[in-house]
Formats: sequence, C-alpha cells, structure tokens
Amino acid sequence: MEQFLYYLKVSFTSIKRAPLPYALTILILSLGIGVFFANATLYYQLNSDPLPHKSDKLFFPMTRMMPHQCHDCPPPRILSYVNVQKLSATEIPTAKAAMYSTDGYLRLDSTKAPTPVSVRLTQPDFFRMFDVPMLHGSVWQDAKARQELILAKQMAEKIFGRSNVVGEKVLLDDRYYTVIGVLDDWRMLPRLYDANNHNYVEDTEQVFMPLETGYDYNYLSNTQSHTMDDTDFRQLATQGRTGALHQLQFWVQLDSPQQQQSYRQFMANLVAAEQKAGRHPSMPNNQLIPMRDIIQYFGGGSADIKAFALVTLLFLGVCLLNASHLSLNRYLSNQYEFSLRRALGASRLQLQQQILADVLLMTLCCALCGMGIAWGGIELLNYLWPANRLFGRWDPTLVAALFVLTLSASYLVTLYPSLRASFGGLNQQLKE
Amino acid sequence: MIQLKNLSKIFRTELIETHALRQIDLQVKEGEFVALTGPSGSGKSTLLNVLGTLEQFDDGDYLLDGQSVKGLADSALSKLRNEKIGFIFQGFNLIKDYSLQDNIELPLRYRGLVASERKRRVEQALELVGLAARRDYHPSQLSGGQQQRVAIARAIAGEPRILLADEPTGNLDSLMARQVMELLEQINRQGCTILMVTHDPDQARRASRQVQIVDGQLSDAALYDPLAIKTA
Repeated sequence: MEQFLYYLKVSFTSIKRAPLPYALTILILSLGIGVFFANATLYYQLNSDPLPHKSDKLFFPMTRMMPHQCHDCPPPRILSYVNVQKLSATEIPTAKAAMYSTDGYLRLDSTKAPTPVSVRLTQPDFFRMFDVPMLHGSVWQDAKARQELILAKQMAEKIFGRSNVVGEKVLLDDRYYTVIGVLDDWRMLPRLYDANNHNYVEDTEQVFMPLETGYDYNYLSNTQSHTMDDTDFRQLATQGRTGALHQLQFWVQLDSPQQQQSYRQFMANLVAAEQKAGRHPSMPNNQLIPMRDIIQYFGGGSADIKAFALVTLLFLGVCLLNASHLSLNRYLSNQYEFSLRRALGASRLQLQQQILADVLLMTLCCALCGMGIAWGGIELLNYLWPANRLFGRWDPTLVAALFVLTLSASYLVTLYPSLRASFGGLNQQLKE
Repeated sequence: MIQLKNLSKIFRTELIETHALRQIDLQVKEGEFVALTGPSGSGKSTLLNVLGTLEQFDDGDYLLDGQSVKGLADSALSKLRNEKIGFIFQGFNLIKDYSLQDNIELPLRYRGLVASERKRRVEQALELVGLAARRDYHPSQLSGGQQQRVAIARAIAGEPRILLADEPTGNLDSLMARQVMELLEQINRQGCTILMVTHDPDQARRASRQVQIVDGQLSDAALYDPLAIKTA
C-alpha cells in the first residue's frame, strides 16, 4: 500500500510538471467517454430486460383470425375481444391477461380538482405475470366486471395524502369506485407488456381497472383500436364484445417448453377450426412471441439511437487516438525519469505498476468528468427525443460499466506510451 | 569480483557497424579503485555502461561475483543494479522536483525496504556527503559540487559493492572536483569497489589502478597490469 501511495505521489508530481497536456488528455478522453456513455445509457436502458427471469416465459399470441381475406399480411398486433376469449379458453397457460389502456380523470370527490391519469384495463393475472408488487390490499378475485380500482402508491398519496387507502371511494371520471389495492413503488421500463406502437417507452399506469368494467363503460383504447367490420366502436359494451373491434393486447405465461408446444398446437387447432367454420378466410399465420423479442418483432427499436450509438463509438475512437497522442508526448517528455528509475534498479514490472497508478488516477479524473459530460449529453438527448426521457437514468450496473470503460480507455491510452517508456534505451536516455 | 572475458560490443545502424569494445579481458578485485582512461570515443563510457548492465554486449562474457550476467531477465538485471551497483553520472541525473531525501531514497524504494530502514540509510548517506541539513532542499538550490555529492549519496545509500562513476567531476570546478574525489576515496576505503571514467590524469593517478582504453581495446598499459597477466 505504501508503495502504491508512492506511485500516486509520483503521478501527481508528473502531472504538476506539465498540467496542461494532462488536462487536455483528460478533457478529450472524458468528452469521448461522456458522449458515448450518454448514448449507451439510452441504448442499454431501452434494450434492457425488465423481467430477465421470466421474459422467455411470457408470450404474446397473435393469429390472423379476421373477417377479410389477406394471405400476406401479418397477424394483427391487437386482438378483438372475441378472439381473446377464444385464445383464453384453455388451461394450458400458467397465467393469462388481456389488457388495453385509456385515459381518465381521478379525484376524491366532485368538489376536488380532477387529476388526469392513465388507466390500464386488465385482468387479475396481470399483476403476478409482470411481478407487480402490492403494498396494501389485493387484486380482484376474478376477471368479472366490478366497481373496484387498484392505484399506484404515488397516485394514492396524491389523491388521499397516504398510501393505505384500501376500502376508500374514489371518483374516476363520473363514477365512484372502491380502492381494493395499492401497488408498491413499481416502474417497468421498458414497459414491454405494451410494446406496440413504441408505447414501451411510456411510464407505467397509475390506475388499474377490470377489463370487463372498461368494456361495460365504453372505455376505448387511447393507443390503438381498429374495426375490421361494421362494429360501432361507441358500442363497446355490446358490439365491441362480439364484433371485430381490435384493441386488446393479450399475454400468456408458458413456463415450460411442453406448455409452449401445447399452446402452439392449441392455437393451430383453434385457427383451423375457425377457418373450417367459415369465420375467417385467410391462411393461418400464428405467432407466439416471447416478451424479450417483442420489440424486435414489432420493429420498435429506435433507429436514431442505433445510428447515434455508432457515431458516438467512432467519436470515442477518435478521442482515444488523440488522447493517446497527447499521452505519448507526456510519457516521452518523462522518458529520462523512467530510464533513470530503471538504471537505479526499477524493473519493467515496477514501472508498469507505476503506470497503473497513473492509469487509475486518469480513470478517476475521466470517470468524474465523463459522468458530468454524459449527464449533459442525456439532458440534450432528452431534449431532442423527449419520448425516451424515462430511459436516461443510471443504475449501479451502468456506473460500474462506466468505470470499466474508463479504466480500459485510460489503459489503452497509456499502454503504448508506457511500453515505449519502459523499453527505451537506458544509456541513450540518460545522456539526453 | 568483476571479470570480463573476451567481451565485445558493436553499435549497429542501417549503414555502419561501430566496434565500441573489442575482445576486452579485464578483472577487478573487490575493494579496488580503478580509473578508466582513454581518449574521447575510445569506449570507456560504453565499458562502464556494460559493467552497469545499462548496455547489452554482443560477444564474450561478463561475470559479476562469479555469475554471468549474460541472458539475465530484466527483473534479475534490475535487482542486480539495485542491490550491487551504484551509479554516479557526469550530469548528476537528479530529479529536479524531488527533494534530496526523495532523490536518495529512490533506489531504496525499489528494493522494498521499510520506511524506517530507508530513512536510516538516507540520513547516513547525507551525513557522509555533508548535506544532512539540506535534506529537504531541491537540486536546483544546490551548487554543482553539492548536486554531485547528492548523486554520490544516492549511489551509496543502497550500500552497493561496486560504484560506477562516469566522469563524476567532469562538470565541476577544481575545488569541487577535489572534494568529490576525496569523498570517493573515503568510500573506497570503506571497502566499496570503484570504477571511474575520467579524462583527468591527476585524478586517474589517485586511483589504485589505471586501465586505458583505445579504440575499444585495452591498451598495453592495462595488459601489463600484473593482475591481468595472472588471469591470462
């Protein structure tokens, strides 16, 4: 340890000898790392897996069961109520939940100012499929319609000023509901259960309502709905349940390969039976997409972020080259001292340890400056692409990655100069 | 203690080869004070650098304490330099932004000595060269003669068995040169073997033995050295 502190002292002395080239090296390297890291943050968060332990067990089934004929179009990304009923009519999945979202206004009573809220209309299995934590109360007993809501903790505190509000009444739009559950802090990013139309970048909802209640009260989807026959979308409670009004996402949990195979077979049999019954004319095209592949399947990845990632990677490369050049100059100007140390008995290994202390010091400086620049970069990206604002956040993994990246970059920048310094001709250098 | 057998050193460039040392045979006993003399470019500094393992040689062998240094790895050579050899350079080669104490301590750092032992040796060396009161000074605050004394302190702090001095008084006036020579003689009397390159015949005469190099070869004067004849 004492020797390491000595190496650090030597590094500081070397910096004091020529602070400007060192500062320039740090600045260039930090700039490259900061710009790259800002983009890498978005890229990493947008492509992260919010449920790594079960993202390969949650599936999004799609079939081409629709009234008109189409042999080359993909199966619709949203399903009709009746198709969901058919796809649900099996006990193969461990859990299953249909859902859609809408908007509403929430308040304690009519005397209070309304708060705009996003509402997810879904079924009880949603909460266990997506590992939604409950703080107070419970979820609905079954999938039937009921005047009951589940609130996010933040929303409960906003409306009631406290989180334990189970049993309290609350006014959503023009109807009173009983709060039966309050979620603990929960945010699923990316929100893969709603991957369609780039919706996965949005925040999780604050209010959860039974899907059947949503249909009963004619809540139409606020993201995507599509009528494929003469169904009147204003008659959601009646025609919406029987016609080809597509607005639902549907997820099934299939834990084992056998379950997955069985459910595929179930879908194939269902579509064949429906076709045979004359309920859809198209050739079968069934899809069972795992959650981890859903964005890719929907083609929802951000091309801008990918392109920017490439540009920032190239920029980092240019910065590394420039910083290497500056570092080489710095080391060559200190070559005499390296040679003197070797002449007086320092081995190349000891010099490399000295250089490692230099690298660690540079890593610390670059990581701090790089984080500052990355923070600025994320602010800029949020300004340019506000839709991705939720993804500009760091977690311990990312911060650790930043340090590893900075350490690698600092070592790369130092490697060649340090080797030059360590292997220079001793006698020649001491004469100069 | 030092034995060179048929040792040669060639400097090569793309165009020419320069034979800096030609088949040198030399033996130095422990405790000797040897002056290496010769005209400029004759190879005396190269010989000193080879002896200090700062330069590789091309042919022959170099035995230090009966062990060949040929083919030794970098770590072994570094250890050898650190523990057995002390260097005194004509240009002092002190690190200007280090204090005298830090400069003298430098080789001890690489030997892995504990702080108290390093401190003891630094103080002892500074006492010997008469600069104990200036341990926190920087080289630029000292005269040339004092800087060379610091360099000598650095060389002897590691208690080396051999001291290699390359024109140690070359940059000093006569008074300071005399002081440095007296210091070297004092160190030699304490048992340290010294090989010193010098142009100055008066200083060479103060050594216990003179070896002359001309065109990379030991001259007749050296060949007639009784010890060399005995070795042959």
